Amino acid sequence: MRRRLRTVVRIARWEAGGVRHGLDRRTILAALALVVLVGVVVGGGVAAGVAGLDVDRDIYRVGVDPDSPYAEAIEADPALVPVGNARATLGADVDVVVRPTGEGVTLHTAESAKGEAAAEAVREAFESHNERRMAAEGNQTAAFPVSVTLQYESRAATTAEGPTLGEEPTDGGEATDEDAGSDGDESADEDPLADGDGTTDGDDGDDTDGFAVPSIGGGGDAFGADAVGSPGSISPPFPFVSLVLAFVFLVPMNFLIQAYGSSILNERINRRGELLLVTPVHPTDVVAGKTLPYVVAAAGLTAVIAVGVGGGVLSVLAMLPIALTFLAATFVGAMFARSFKELTFVTVAVSVLLTTYAFIPAVFTNVTPVALISPLSLVVLDLQGEAVSTVSFLFSTGPVTLASGLLFLLGVGVYREEDLFTQKPVPRKFLDALAVRLAPVEGSSLSGFRSRFRGLATVAFITACTIPFVFVAELLAVAVLFALPVTVSIPVLLVTLALIEEVAKSIHLYAGFERGIFARTDRVAVAVGLASGLGFFLAEKATAIVQAVGLTDLFVGRAAFGAVAGLDALPLPVAVGLFFAPLALHGFATVVAAVGASRSRVYYAMTLVIATLIHAAYNFGVVSLYG
Amino acid sequence: MIEVRGLNKRYGGFTAVADSSFAVAESEVFGIVGPNGAGKTTTLKMLAGLIEPTGGHAEVAGFDSMDPQMRHRLGFLPEESPLYEEMTPRSYLRFFADLYDVPREVADERVGETLDRLSLDHRDRRLGDMSKGMKRKVAIARSLVNDPDVVIYDEPASGLDPVTTNTVLQFTRELRAEGKTVVFSAHNLHHVESVCDRVIIMNEGEIVARGSVEGIRERHGETSYTVFTDVPVTVPTDSLATAVDGRANDGDGGGSIRAEPIGDRYRCTVPTMDAVERVREVVAAEGGSVVDIRSHEPSLEELFLSVVGAPMTGTGGTATAQAVETEGASGKGGTAEGDRT
Repeated sequence: MRRRLRTVVRIARWEAGGVRHGLDRRTILAALALVVLVGVVVGGGVAAGVAGLDVDRDIYRVGVDPDSPYAEAIEADPALVPVGNARATLGADVDVVVRPTGEGVTLHTAESAKGEAAAEAVREAFESHNERRMAAEGNQTAAFPVSVTLQYESRAATTAEGPTLGEEPTDGGEATDEDAGSDGDESADEDPLADGDGTTDGDDGDDTDGFAVPSIGGGGDAFGADAVGSPGSISPPFPFVSLVLAFVFLVPMNFLIQAYGSSILNERINRRGELLLVTPVHPTDVVAGKTLPYVVAAAGLTAVIAVGVGGGVLSVLAMLPIALTFLAATFVGAMFARSFKELTFVTVAVSVLLTTYAFIPAVFTNVTPVALISPLSLVVLDLQGEAVSTVSFLFSTGPVTLASGLLFLLGVGVYREEDLFTQKPVPRKFLDALAVRLAPVEGSSLSGFRSRFRGLATVAFITACTIPFVFVAELLAVAVLFALPVTVSIPVLLVTLALIEEVAKSIHLYAGFERGIFARTDRVAVAVGLASGLGFFLAEKATAIVQAVGLTDLFVGRAAFGAVAGLDALPLPVAVGLFFAPLALHGFATVVAAVGASRSRVYYAMTLVIATLIHAAYNFGVVSLYG
Repeated sequence: MIEVRGLNKRYGGFTAVADSSFAVAESEVFGIVGPNGAGKTTTLKMLAGLIEPTGGHAEVAGFDSMDPQMRHRLGFLPEESPLYEEMTPRSYLRFFADLYDVPREVADERVGETLDRLSLDHRDRRLGDMSKGMKRKVAIARSLVNDPDVVIYDEPASGLDPVTTNTVLQFTRELRAEGKTVVFSAHNLHHVESVCDRVIIMNEGEIVARGSVEGIRERHGETSYTVFTDVPVTVPTDSLATAVDGRANDGDGGGSIRAEPIGDRYRCTVPTMDAVERVREVVAAEGGSVVDIRSHEPSLEELFLSVVGAPMTGTGGTATAQAVETEGASGKGGTAEGDRT
């Protein structure tokens, strides 16, 4: 083990040296320019975070008597510049003038669009000033004699009638203005930036509370919202600044994978990597050594950015799985690509897809737990100073970490002479990568029990290994579809989930038959189909974690992961039956697809459709039962 | 040192190597020859543990060929061995020595000695700036960095100039003298013949001939005789014990050999000494005399063509085959190595 570690480090040093020596002066200068550019962006982001995004700062000049009580409200608004009333000439020196009239004031505006806008800004400044003063009152009951309850719509409650988002109040995430007031106190007591440097067990037990943070008061705080205000000042909880800063973490990944992908493909061009394969070093160690410098670089860059934008350890820990996924996907792509041209397509596809996967859900960090499918949501929460529970952290980072590990294993499977230097089409290499992990299942009854058991156990294990990919794909489907009307999203989702799962259960079976690892008999097809179904069933039960993070509170979440939710409300025999019903489903549907796979590609495609339809019908049944 | 039994490799329905069996002794240089696609490189890579056999067994230096431990005892030089061009020979060889767990001091000494023997200077120049011959020498030095018992060289002198080629061939002989076992493959059969103790000839994945070059010559080659006379003669073939050179028969519709003019002499080729005696009788009857008789033993190239039954394909092979054919047609009595007077 120690020797292997030393070898990995040796290869990593060589790889880092190769990257260093492989760069010419122009590339280094370009890289430096890029770093400076990123620094400017980060610096700008930080500045924006500190001062607020005041793009409208000092644009209206307001004539107001410095001794007037209204002057304080004008001064507090960054868009307004107070000018001494005596010197103010409307239209020339000021856009609007505040003149006292009895107990109130009158606004005199310049006859221009800017004058009108200035007057509107002054009125809003007065309202905000009043609200701040009311919120500062010791006697809140006197300040707010009427209590208004804010109720946030959960899509779970809208399905019975089928309305769209926001039509029916539910029990999710409610907060009175008193609650809001207390939240506001917490915000005042705790420095959000200082608080966000680690993963804690977090908030008070109800995860949905953490996602239903209202933004009230016009966004006075860049990283959070004022919790007190009038209904008219409520705005959607959109963590703009945190998102911009979180995006900065993703930028270096896109450059790292370019260098990494080129390095991997370089080994394959002209058989350069053959000499490493003939040494006693295991291919896994070669890949680990070649990958390590990029992981270290990703971690280092992430840490630097975290320090720059005010993120904490949580941000770095959350970004590492994303970096690994970028690298793993690039590795597999570089293993399958046949040329640098194809590699360019692969790296662009990886950049776009993974950036989308990471960023889009993070937009909804403050809205829905679905956002946690992206670890970038953890970065956003960290930048907002929100605490994150351990379960949420694992839910967010676990699937992508596992998926990246499995992608590396998939690629390492074909890191061998026979695949590295051949120009096979991508689908064939993909099948090779799957087939290399399978053990033979012979058709003859003469083959020993141990041999057959090993073959079937391997099938079940590989199927179980697809769960992170299935999970990520299903979560992505949920994330994409949850904004649509449920009358559309639910049917599409159920068929999509069925297809994802049936492909995951059967694609390696097709690879096994296609590569001659499994005997092409119905008996073997049934055996490997059942083994795959069992493996999927067992691994699927591990997805019960979605219940823990409250994803099944969403209707689409319950549709996707309903099998793990709600059993406790049913009679025991029904619950047991329903618990094992998926086993029967997975076994039967996979056998159907496996029988097709044992014959030909066309038969496999046909039986895969049939298996998907069977699975989708089952899903509809489950949804109807739980509906 | 190497034991191969029933080795085969199939890619789907295509058989690259079919049930190959052979053994290589310690301190032996063993050649594998054959046309492109014969299965030579696949066989070498199975021996090196790069390709997993579909069936059969290969044992190298006491280890299964797929056992990673075997690679500590093996030096492998593939046909194409592009180097990491940003490195220098010194850093490149040190890197590989590290991967074989060779201590730095030992590696430096070993590498220095090998590069001295191969006459490679400029050890701190970028590999990317070196000539093909220099790079090949570095690659050969890499194959020896772990002081292996067995070295497998696939086309070690391919594309090199004659001086470098001779250096490489001489170095291969020295490896044998040091007790190393060498498996050697080359398109240039002269190279194989000049360094190998024994060879196998492969065609379409199968071993079609094996043994020493002399042994193969005895089994698959036939010595022929070229008779030079001072008069033109025509010898009836029915008077010869065996069939004669086809070229001589052409034009007559069979039945006789007509000597071709070569300068002020005439030449005909016959397969046996009995036939030579018959020619001598005919010449004497014509009032002339036999001025010279040369025997011709087939080269490895001719044996190869004889065994494989088709001209070699590929750049090197085609050139070699054409050379044989050309020399034969021009009547110069075969290659220099094959002439025996």
